[in-house]
Amino acid sequence: MGGKVTCTLGEVKNRADLIIYWGGNPADCHPLHFSRYTLNAKGKHVPQGRKGRTMVLVDVRETPSVRFSDIFLQVRPGKDFEVVTTLRALLKNRPVDEARVAETGLTLEQLQNLVDRMKNARFGVLFFGMGLTMTRGKHMNSAAVLTLVAELNAFTKFVSMPMRGHGNVTGADVVMRWTTGFPFGVNLSRGYPRFNPGEFSTIDVLVRGDNDAALILGADPGATMPQPAIDHLARIPTIVLDPKLTHTSRLARVHITTATTGISAPGTAYRMDEIPLPLKPILKSPYPTDEEVIRRIYEKVKVKPAWSPAAYAKVPCA
Amino acid sequence: MITLSLKEEPPVPLEAEALSPDVVATLRYDEICALPMFLGKRQCRVDDHFVVEGEASDELEIRGDAGRVKWIGRGMTRGRLRIVGNAGMHLGAYMKGGTIEVTGSAGDWAGAEMSGGLIRIGGNAGGQIGAAYRGSRTGMTDGTILIEGSAGLEVGMRMKRGTIAIKGSVKDFAGLEMKGGTLIVGGAELRTGAWMTRGTIVSLTRIPLLPTFAYSGTCNPTFLRLYARQLGTCGFSVPCDASAGAYLLYTGDTAVSDKGEILAWQPHAS
Repeated sequence: MGGKVTCTLGEVKNRADLIIYWGGNPADCHPLHFSRYTLNAKGKHVPQGRKGRTMVLVDVRETPSVRFSDIFLQVRPGKDFEVVTTLRALLKNRPVDEARVAETGLTLEQLQNLVDRMKNARFGVLFFGMGLTMTRGKHMNSAAVLTLVAELNAFTKFVSMPMRGHGNVTGADVVMRWTTGFPFGVNLSRGYPRFNPGEFSTIDVLVRGDNDAALILGADPGATMPQPAIDHLARIPTIVLDPKLTHTSRLARVHITTATTGISAPGTAYRMDEIPLPLKPILKSPYPTDEEVIRRIYEKVKVKPAWSPAAYAKVPCA
Repeated sequence: MITLSLKEEPPVPLEAEALSPDVVATLRYDEICALPMFLGKRQCRVDDHFVVEGEASDELEIRGDAGRVKWIGRGMTRGRLRIVGNAGMHLGAYMKGGTIEVTGSAGDWAGAEMSGGLIRIGGNAGGQIGAAYRGSRTGMTDGTILIEGSAGLEVGMRMKRGTIAIKGSVKDFAGLEMKGGTLIVGGAELRTGAWMTRGTIVSLTRIPLLPTFAYSGTCNPTFLRLYARQLGTCGFSVPCDASAGAYLLYTGDTAVSDKGEILAWQPHAS
């Protein structure tokens, strides 16, 4: 089993000489990534900057990031898991089937070359994006990459890092982790945290219609989730906390406008390498912060008598 | 025999690990009615959701669409559990013995981490059949799961011993990280046997394979005849007649091991 071998972006800047982007388009989606942390930054042990580093891009199509890369590997859509598993075999000098490797869109020579570069790097880093984690195979694609990177540490120092998206998604994972022990897909209905993605993860719960209410905080599932999930959100009482009107607010019963964190409310955001950064407000907002709204809801909930089987015996559940 | 008839489909999942022959075997009627269940976060009684008949028996029958009732038969060691209708997730998880029979379909994680007993599912099943729970190293360690229909993702994930036989086809990642045991499928989608270290996957049709599986010849293994005879008594036919065809043997997954085997049936051209 894997686990994430990772580091901070500062280490990437100061040490990495092999940088792999897999299933992402950082030139468009993370425009400061190259200049601040990876390609162009001059680091303590990479004093030449861009010249001291090799960049490999793996993606299903040519994106604007291609022109920044030294090597571009175009893999067929949905074949990432096959490629990573082949790399794991090549790493151990195990045989692979050349014809089935060719079905991935890459040749055995290309993959062997990549493995040699990975083994010979002084400090390698693999950034993986939604092109890997959200295509067929999903969590197993991430598991494959994390395991590959863990195994590479038998040869050299190698780390991996997910290219996290908009907002403070890393923060949600990190805070869930130190409060419940699990990063997502947590169920607290029995009074203790239980973790089972597929059973308790948001989309699965909504698609099956397993919940009878929803509180949505700083997210817009109405714009991104599959239609059956959106239909269920419209069916049940949904409460949205968001600075702006979103697709989800339109189908919600209640929308509470809150102050924008980082602009008119203070807070903490986590960078993609899980470094917490304080946010200082520059403007004043007439709206309450997310924290204040949640705290006030919680205070009202706390006043309600605790639910117990004895109380339930008098009032049967609906 | 004890019969429980579901009054109506619960609005949210009902967690009912008390519905197991081990629990009800020695209980009187009113004690069975008072057994705890969890509807969401609320603890309720069996008779809130079920019409109970009978008492003190290790034969239990559940009637109605229990597709939202989870953990039925959890950890059971004996007796017979029959579900006329569908069953929800985690059916027979951690079970050690006894028999579960479902006439309809079952949800995900049926027979997860079981170590003995028999589960028969008349319809389709969800994913992670006989699998290991997230973060756990080993899935089912013994016992048998028979499915008449098809099944979902990650069937037999990290299983170590025991048998899973599925008449229909399964989705991706069947036998993922398998460590032993036998998985028989009618067909499979992608990535069958990914990262398997040991064990046998038998497919009754040709299936797409990962690049990390190596072709190792054709065979008609003797042990399959034993499986064919045993499964034949349960209505599962596994071809093993050398005059009708042969199994293509692939070994892998070379990313982790070369001791796993995938056997794909190929009838002789006639």
